[in-house]
Amino acid sequence: MSAATVRKLRQISQMLFFALFMYLFVQAVYLGASPLESDLFYRLDPLIAATAMIAGRTLIAGLLYALINLAAALIFGRVWCGWVCPMGSLLDWISPKKAKRGEGIPDRWRMVKLLLFAGLIFAAVLGNQTAVIADPISILTRSMTTAIWPALRKMVFGLEGFLYQFDFLWPVLDWIHANALLPLFQGIESVFISGIPIFIVFALIIGLNWLAERFWCRYLCPLGGMLGIFSRGAILRREVSDACTDCGLCARNCPTGTIDKRAGYASDPTECIYCYDCAADCPVSAISFPAHSPLRWAEKQPYDPNRRDVLRTAAGAVAGVSLLGIETITRREPERMIRPPGATLTDFTTLCMRCGECVRVCPTQGLQPSLLEGGIQNLFTPRLVPRLGQCSFTCSACIEVCPTGAIPPITIEEKQRTPIGLASIDQDRCLAWGYDTICSVCEEICPLAEKAIRQEEREVTDLNGNTFTIKLPYVLRELCIGCGACEYHCPAGGEAAIQIKTLPSTEVVIRGI
Amino acid sequence: MSKKKEINRRDFIRTISLTGAGIYLAGCSRPALETLPTPVANAKTATSEVTNTQTEATQSNDASPLYGDVYLSVVHGENPAEMTRRAIAAIGGIERFVPNGANVIVKPNICTDYYPYEYGATTNPEVVAAIVQLCNGAGAKRVRVMDNPFGGTALNAYKRSGIEDAVIAAGGEMEVMNNNKFRKNAIPDGFDIKEWIFYQDILDADVVINVPIAKDHGTTRLTLGCKNMMGTILNRGQIHANIYQRIADLTSRVKPALTVVDGIRTLMRGGPTGGNLDDVKMSNTIIASADFVAADSQAATLFELTAADIGYIPAAAAMGLGTMELESIKVEEFSV
Repeated sequence: MSAATVRKLRQISQMLFFALFMYLFVQAVYLGASPLESDLFYRLDPLIAATAMIAGRTLIAGLLYALINLAAALIFGRVWCGWVCPMGSLLDWISPKKAKRGEGIPDRWRMVKLLLFAGLIFAAVLGNQTAVIADPISILTRSMTTAIWPALRKMVFGLEGFLYQFDFLWPVLDWIHANALLPLFQGIESVFISGIPIFIVFALIIGLNWLAERFWCRYLCPLGGMLGIFSRGAILRREVSDACTDCGLCARNCPTGTIDKRAGYASDPTECIYCYDCAADCPVSAISFPAHSPLRWAEKQPYDPNRRDVLRTAAGAVAGVSLLGIETITRREPERMIRPPGATLTDFTTLCMRCGECVRVCPTQGLQPSLLEGGIQNLFTPRLVPRLGQCSFTCSACIEVCPTGAIPPITIEEKQRTPIGLASIDQDRCLAWGYDTICSVCEEICPLAEKAIRQEEREVTDLNGNTFTIKLPYVLRELCIGCGACEYHCPAGGEAAIQIKTLPSTEVVIRGI
Repeated sequence: MSKKKEINRRDFIRTISLTGAGIYLAGCSRPALETLPTPVANAKTATSEVTNTQTEATQSNDASPLYGDVYLSVVHGENPAEMTRRAIAAIGGIERFVPNGANVIVKPNICTDYYPYEYGATTNPEVVAAIVQLCNGAGAKRVRVMDNPFGGTALNAYKRSGIEDAVIAAGGEMEVMNNNKFRKNAIPDGFDIKEWIFYQDILDADVVINVPIAKDHGTTRLTLGCKNMMGTILNRGQIHANIYQRIADLTSRVKPALTVVDGIRTLMRGGPTGGNLDDVKMSNTIIASADFVAADSQAATLFELTAADIGYIPAAAAMGLGTMELESIKVEEFSV
């Protein structure tokens, strides 16, 4: 097989895996409808598997698929980065026409990704997963869920709304709506509090391509760093034969800039992503990827972290986790930090790997990646915002998709009995209590058979002296599960007059260090 | 040749189309739906203008028993589909309501996806399917079934209620209500509300068949045919402010041609959402009439209540939308 064919295969592989990512992303909301797990890419992600299992002090069987990826790295090096990773593919595709070689950037920056990986592991040992938000699959899923896909939906539905002005188009539009748009986007107009900040980070990562090609993969990606370490002993490694004419084409074209002219066009397996660009372009076919003994590790590079760098990273992780300990959430749960159902049954923050799958599948889009509501340490962990969407009574989507069990695998019946918060009525703003108005929406909407919201009758007199009876709602603490249906539907303008607040019984969890 | 950077065609087109797309997207974003009037306690009601209303009612009361001689049918039995067919046959048959080639919308009550239909919160699927079949048999061009659930998604609610499967098997279509098809419409006869946002297809349909389930309701005591029209609009929360009159106002605009009340499993407590089988009583009754006020009045008796107990029934009767005087109409009651 010629090198050009291999490159073609790599390009096809990138497209197929990206298509697979999007397919899984779209079908995730149709729980279990596809034979493939919607979190397949997470399962293949060894970084997330390592931190989740270390921080959660548990073995998560579903994440052991990641061993496949590590095994691949031991044979083909960072083949994941070049052939599979949907984030890497996007970075390949969205880049300046003339790729930037990043000449002004010191090679020592390559160390960042390795140290970031080390830092994540150290933090996980301390039971913290805050920085796992830097995982590439997590970045892409989160950006897609909260920004790109909803914006696309807005665009498509905006166009549709425009066309719906023309009544004669309705039959066609109805067909498109029912057969294409609903299956793709569902009927919800999703809004995300953190969508734009998340998008800005995503755009910045893409934008770094204008400094150096695959800047993210070269210098920053902690998953790339992890796979890079395993690639040290990869069996297949790039080699340049004596046929080399010193034309320098490979060094100019290498997307990770690892081909060193001064070292006879040799490359570092930690950096090489097996894209085959060099081999395919080489005019004299001097480049090949022969087998090496895995015991003979690749040469050390000047930018490799030394023992002191690693120790400093460990100290940094300790300092960082300690610093997070001064956040107020370590003393009091914020009253509006409502977690997904059942999350109070687990040590949620140590198990949650901020993957965003629960946010993706929540059919009401009430689950939102938190910004600073739970402190920096809870950045992008899921939070129910009932005013934007209730926790649907018959739904257990988040429970089904959570890859780590941070949202524990409870049955729907258990979920319907497990409180996640408690409704409380603001009597000054409640239409019935505050304004003598007949309302009862919260009572009506309450999904519990016994109704956790009940009403007492009271005679009231209006300005004209007419007396009438109104019903005043109140909450039964023993029954309310805090699903937020009442808050979502409350007709009071702006903030609801009935709100879900953190459970009064929530114990303060003293987290270590 | 000068090295001056000139804009080439590609750049020009790119710039123009990007700018155009930007402007277009900014322009086509749908303006937020207007918020409707803030609820007030002493809102206008039909009964507060009772003299005026009664004159109008007598003048324009075309709901008086003009057709045949059976005004309303009450059918008891064990087979919901058969009871439905017989109930409609007794008041003149489906052909009376559905002309050949008609565009029909059937509006059951699929309020939530919380529980299956056995819990008495959503309309019996066999009843809905029987109506769809009758419409198809009468030569309807298109029969759509829809509701706008307030709990859970429409897709889930359609499935869980069993209505989706039954309707598709009967040759009808389920439509998930599309936000783009809600439009503000005047309510010329409305007392309290003069306009509201309705589902345009329902107003435009040739025939609307109202298939409520009779059940307990926390606010209005019972939800029946008039109340079922709440599923045709947006901003339902705002209706609650003056709920009886506003429901009557809504029905004056939708005016379903035929109302079939599912009184088979009646939810006696814990409505409208239900969830406890102990609250469900087997009443095994189907009520059909062209007059939804009369149908609702009859259905109230299943709960040992009278029309006067259910605020929106007198309100609708006062507007001349139908009669709540069950003694003055011919009711045919039988078992199958």
